[in-house]
Order: sequence, then structure tokens, then C-alpha cells
Amino acid sequence: MKKSRAFSTVLSVICAVAFFTILSFTLTSCETRNEIKIAVAGPFTGPVAAFGEMIKRGAQLKAKEINAAGGVNGKTLTLVFEDDTGKDKEASLVAERIASNRQILAVVGHFNSSCTLAGKPIYKRAGIVELSPGSTNVRVCVGSDWTFRNLYRDDFQGAFVARYIKNVLGDIQKIAIFFDNDDYGRGLKDGFTSVAEDLGLEIIAAEAYDRDNTDFKAQLTSIKAKNPDLIFLSGLYSQAGLIVSQAREAGITAQLFGADGVDSPDFLTIAGDAAEGTYVSTPFVFELGGPEAQRMAVAFEEMHEVAPDTWAALTYDAVGMIIEAIEKGGENRTAIRDHLASINSPEKGYNGITGLTYFDENGDCTKPAYVKIVKDGQFVPAEGQMLSTE
Amino acid sequence: MAQFLEQIINGLVLGGIYALIAVGYTMVYGIIQLINFAHGEIFMFGAYFAFLCVTTFGLSFWVALPLSMGMCALMGMLIDFVAYRPLRDAPRLSALITAIGMSLVLQNLARLIWGARWRKFPADATPTLLTGNAIPLPGGAQVSFLDVFIILLAVGLMIGLNRLIHLTKIGKAMRACAQNRIAASLMGIDTNRVITVTFAIGSALGAVAGVMVGLREVTEPAMGYYKGVAAFAAAVLGGIGNITGAMLGGVVLGVAEALGAGYISSEYRLAIAYIIMILVIIFRPSGLLGKSTATRA
Repeated sequence: MKKSRAFSTVLSVICAVAFFTILSFTLTSCETRNEIKIAVAGPFTGPVAAFGEMIKRGAQLKAKEINAAGGVNGKTLTLVFEDDTGKDKEASLVAERIASNRQILAVVGHFNSSCTLAGKPIYKRAGIVELSPGSTNVRVCVGSDWTFRNLYRDDFQGAFVARYIKNVLGDIQKIAIFFDNDDYGRGLKDGFTSVAEDLGLEIIAAEAYDRDNTDFKAQLTSIKAKNPDLIFLSGLYSQAGLIVSQAREAGITAQLFGADGVDSPDFLTIAGDAAEGTYVSTPFVFELGGPEAQRMAVAFEEMHEVAPDTWAALTYDAVGMIIEAIEKGGENRTAIRDHLASINSPEKGYNGITGLTYFDENGDCTKPAYVKIVKDGQFVPAEGQMLSTE
Repeated sequence: MAQFLEQIINGLVLGGIYALIAVGYTMVYGIIQLINFAHGEIFMFGAYFAFLCVTTFGLSFWVALPLSMGMCALMGMLIDFVAYRPLRDAPRLSALITAIGMSLVLQNLARLIWGARWRKFPADATPTLLTGNAIPLPGGAQVSFLDVFIILLAVGLMIGLNRLIHLTKIGKAMRACAQNRIAASLMGIDTNRVITVTFAIGSALGAVAGVMVGLREVTEPAMGYYKGVAAFAAAVLGGIGNITGAMLGGVVLGVAEALGAGYISSEYRLAIAYIIMILVIIFRPSGLLGKSTATRA
């Protein structure tokens, strides 16, 4: 008898606790009605964290400016940062977590193409917008009405780099490629190779590597024997930095050319002096941007005490686009998607610091590519630019 | 021909690094039959210690290298004292699981302290001797000063270790412990002291390898895992417990990896090296120089 009384006491305590927990949950969700939550997903830790840091800072600056100007429809904008570490498996988990949180209205991210691709089916099922400020793989936006990006695709970038080499650099015949064995590296290599061959350039070697490789001497030695005029780096800044420094150590004098994955200040610190003279293609260059871009660069440096990079700028615009969609479309996931999908012509385009963004039926966008060169340890715009979006 | 010569040198550099790490695995295994999985992490900490010495404390590289060796030796002894000594008489599996746990703890500790960002040894802190121009070899090949330095240093340390094991009193004690730890202690050898010294020497050599990889490649928290696994394979290839075997295994694996990446496919560089290891193990189960396991009851 005593036992059963003890049991009922425990039971009633549990009931009371459960009741208050539910009550407090309801109360907090009422309170949060005064804020607008969007998620920012990217590689904030892990081997490509230099990208993530800039993405985070760009988003923080935009959120600070929006809140200082009165918020979104009078509500405070709150960013939820989710770390995918640059790996597709982690990105799936992050996507599940974001999609199941009904308070989050949209996602800015992911960064790595593999991660955006991993998140795509999950965001599509949950019906939440995924706007990537960095994924360039051709397949990223295909097959989902919920995935968008505010930069070019790799078939465009690959063709652009091939044409740039042929038309602007000249004097280049034999090309060797190093590519990261993931969606980004492989896709960009394929896009580059097909156009380069059409233009009469000769691809003499294509060496794959994995994200954990740090020793490239053996591949570089065999590439050196083939004496290329140019080495194209279809991967991310960390390995590219090591390839560049080890290539110079091995006595390779070929011109080095990286794509936007190499466009990070950390490339300069990893490659050191060997980075000098390396060309990099990129979706945005501050020096060639308008007055708004210059203003953002100053504000960014005031807030974070470092200069912004390309990815900070694209994230800044991506957050801006989502907020505009909330203000003009409505405060729910579907309204945001419908508004973004309606931005389908230059007239309706979003005019951000990185230029005009508008989407085609896939959610891809047409934007020009630029070329930078490393000079005195800094990225500066290359003298020859080739600004067309064809 | 020039290319072949350069690939062999690439392989020897890699092999020297593997050998320096592999002796740490094999010496500990020889005495307490423990595969010290945390050894790869000591190698990684070695790289970080040297990096910190030259960047944060502004020390010369020639001071940073021995300092890093000393700190890793202390760390190796500490790990033995904290994690393995209490389990000395426990079943072997308990110590093995502890070693795996230790490896994970140390790797994540490094990630926590220094972040996952890759650190490149600053060029201005690298001694000019090692950044010097390439040395030309016959046939148009060339080799960098750093690569020559790594090979010479590895060979020098290996000879030194060999002399230490065969000519000194502590070396004799180590050999005695490897033959039979209980009998050695009955003969008046302080086995715990011998084990401590073994950990210290293995860790210091691992630290040298770490500093070299930091100079030549990059310093990052996961480096101990990738290089550690390869070096462990080298120790097994040479016959685990046999120090000369570990050196030989390291060189064979390094050259196989370089030739595989250079001539066959860079995607399968490790696969090629491991296939060679597996083939050796199939035909000589105790490794290239290992004793037949039947003698060990």
C-alpha cells in the first residue's frame, strides 16, 4: 500500500513537471513571434573554416544593419548558425535540424557544393528555401524548387577560365589540372576541360586528390616531367596553397591558375611567397564593385577588424535577398520561395553589392566572373578582365 | 630517368618520416605488446609545439626542434603514466581500447586549442639553410635542401637509435625487457623505468617527424591520424616489435607510395602502398624482419 502511494506521488510530480514544461514552451514560442529567424549554414569549423568565418561575418554585418534600421517588419532578425564542417554527411544532419525547427523561415547556405547537394532533398521535403552564397556545381539547383544560388555555375566558370587563358594570357599550350575529388572539383574540371579542348588547348594531365592529402610532391614530379605551361587548380584554397608552394619547391615554373575555391585570404598564408603571380577566377571583386560595395567593405572592417572576402560579400547579399523576400512576400517559408522564384528577369532583379541577381527556372543565376592576381602578397584585380555573362 | 630519381627521393623523404614515427610504435609494442594509437597524436603535437615556439615565442627553429622533442618526450611519459601504467597487468584489450580513446582525446584537444585551420610554418622562421635553392643532380633532376635535410636527419637518428639500443646500458635493458619482461625484472632491471624511457625516445623521434611534416607540408589536428596509420602499417610491414624492421618498412612504404602516385594514379596512392603491405603479410605473416610469432607464448 505504501509503495503504491509513493508511486502516485512520483507520477503526480512528473505530470506537474510535464505540464509546466509544455506551458513554458508555449510561452517562449509566443515571445519569439517578435523575432524573425533565419539559418546560416556553412563550414564554420573543419579544414575549410576560413570560408565559414567570412560567411559568418558577412551575415552578422547584414543582420546588424537590418536590426539597426528597425528590423524586419518591425521584428528583430536573429541568425541561427549551423556548422556543416564542409562535409556532406554533416550537412544532412544540419539540414534535418534546421528543417524541423518551424521557427526558421529560410536558410542561407550551404557553401560547399557537396553540402548544398546533401541538404537539397531535405529542404525540398520540408519546404524551406536554401539560398547558397558559394556552391557552383552544375547540378546544385536542378530538381528542387527550393534551392537557389546567387553566383554563377561551374560550366560557366570553367568555360570562362579556358577562354581567359586562350584570349588574355595567350602563349599557353599545355595545361595540367589538379582537382579535388568532390562535386565541386570534379564538376569544374569537366567544365573546364571540354571548353579548353574545343579551344585547342592541350590537357596533358589531370590529377585527383582527396581532402586529406597534404603531400603532392609525387604528382608534381610526374607533372614536371611533362613540362606544362599552366597548372589549373580545381579545388579549395588549403590544398591549392600546398600545391602551389610544393610546385615552386619542386622547380616548376608554370603559370598557376585557381578557380573561386582558391579565393580566400588563407590561400596567401598557406602558399606564402609561392602564391605570387597566381591567377584566380572569382564571382566578385571589391575593387570593381560599386560605391555600396566600398561602403560595406568599410563597415565590415570596422565591425570585424579584417577585410571582407568574396564570400562575405555574397553572403551579405544572400541575407539581404531573404529579408527582402520576407518583407515583400510574407513571413512564411512558402511565401519566401514564391517571391524568390518571381525574381526572374533583370528588371525584377535584386541589386546587391555583388551586382544584379535574378534567377532562371532552376534557381541558377547569371552573373559575370572576374580574375584576380596575387601581387605583393595581396589579391588585386588582374589587368585584363573579360566581363561577359555568355 | 630524372623523373624516376626524383620520385625515389620523394619516396625516401616520405619513408624517412614514416620510419621516424614507426619506430615509436614498434619500440612500445616490443616491450609491452601495446599498439600505442596515441603515438600519431604525439607526432601531431610535435608539429604544433615547434610551430608555437617559432610563432608565439619567436624562438629560432634550431631551438624549437629540440624543445619540441623534449616536450613530446614528456608528453609520451605522461600518457604512459596516466593511461597505460594502471592497466599494465590488465588484459591487453583494455590497454588497446585506452590507447584508441587517448588518441581521440588528444586529437580533439588539439582541435579545441588551436582550431582546425591549417597552419603553414612561416617562411621567415624557416632557417635559410632549408629554404635554399634546389641541388642539381645528374640527368637534370633536382632535390631541395629540405628534402636532403629530412633524409639525412632520419638516417642520423636511426643510426643513433641503433647505437643506443646496442651499446648502452639502458639499450641492453630495453632489449632484455623485449625478450621477457618478467625475467628482466627478476634480474634487477627496473622495468617501469625502461618503459618510461622507451616512451620518451619514441615520442621524441615522433616529434622530429612532426616538425618535418610541418615544415614540408602543413600542421593540422588530423595529420596524426593520416600519417600515424601509414606509419603503423610500416611498422607491421617491417615486423612489429623489430626496430630495424620499422625503419625498412617505412622506407618501402614511402617509396611505394611515391612511385604509385607518380606513375600509376594519385587517387590510389595509399591503396598501392597498402596492397604491397598486404602481399608481404600474406607471404611473411610476421613482417619483413619480424620473428616468427610461435616463439612467443
